[in-house]
Amino acid sequence: MSAIEDTAGAPPRRAPEAVSPRSHDRTSWTVWARDRIKHTVPEGQWLPDRQPAYVASWVYVFGMATLVSLVIVIGSGVVLSINGSEWWHTSSVGHFVNSMHLWSVEIFFAVMAIHLWAKFWMAAWRGGRSLTWMTGMIALLAAVGTGFTGYLSQTNFDAQWIGAQAKDGLNSVGLGAWFNALNPAATLTLHIVVLPLAVGAIVIMHVIMVRRHGVVPPIGAEEPTS
Amino acid sequence: MASTQILGEGAGQYLDFGIFHISVTNALIMGAMILIFVLAVVIPFPHHKADNDSDAQ
Repeated sequence: MSAIEDTAGAPPRRAPEAVSPRSHDRTSWTVWARDRIKHTVPEGQWLPDRQPAYVASWVYVFGMATLVSLVIVIGSGVVLSINGSEWWHTSSVGHFVNSMHLWSVEIFFAVMAIHLWAKFWMAAWRGGRSLTWMTGMIALLAAVGTGFTGYLSQTNFDAQWIGAQAKDGLNSVGLGAWFNALNPAATLTLHIVVLPLAVGAIVIMHVIMVRRHGVVPPIGAEEPTS
Repeated sequence: MASTQILGEGAGQYLDFGIFHISVTNALIMGAMILIFVLAVVIPFPHHKADNDSDAQ
């Protein structure tokens, strides 16, 4: 119903939804943003409560395991950055959080690699999912760079040794002009600001693509139409 | 050269297969990852009773 009947015989008032900006009204940025979000991921696909039957498999768990470990990586990293290297080298709580950061990274890369194997053998780029595949691959590369700068940011002899070896490696492939592995300030900034933002942004794009197209069905399985 | 040898001592055991040179620790981790992947493909995923009931209807 587009109008509300007035029982006293007066002209009908317009319903509230009739005076709100229409979906084609491009002068309203909120309408534009709402339309863009709806177009990118239709309503109901953001947090679905039902999934196709083939998703009930352990092999579909590793994407979410990667996301969960990434959250723990970022959380423990924030605590480390707030307290500083003296804290994580000398106090017992610092050692614990430092270990949590290391092992969540180890698990992050392990489950991400298993996620990659699963999606590779499923040919997960099928069904218009090429951008999902590409954003995942770029996220992997960005995460490798973040992990590498993390090794350089330990502020111990291990970091010094890796930095010296990496400097020779980067110089040998011509990257030494842009990135000096022996510059701890640049390395730390890359590790705790630039690269985490890059990984976070790419992972968000990856998740949006997954929600937009849905998880890829196994080869031979039929994908639900709705 | 001497310092390199000192740093290399006690740094773990390594496996050598021709051109392949890998630490035992890394080989074990890679083996465990492959095992987890195979198990994830093979082991059935647990279902809730409600799911089974709705499937039966």
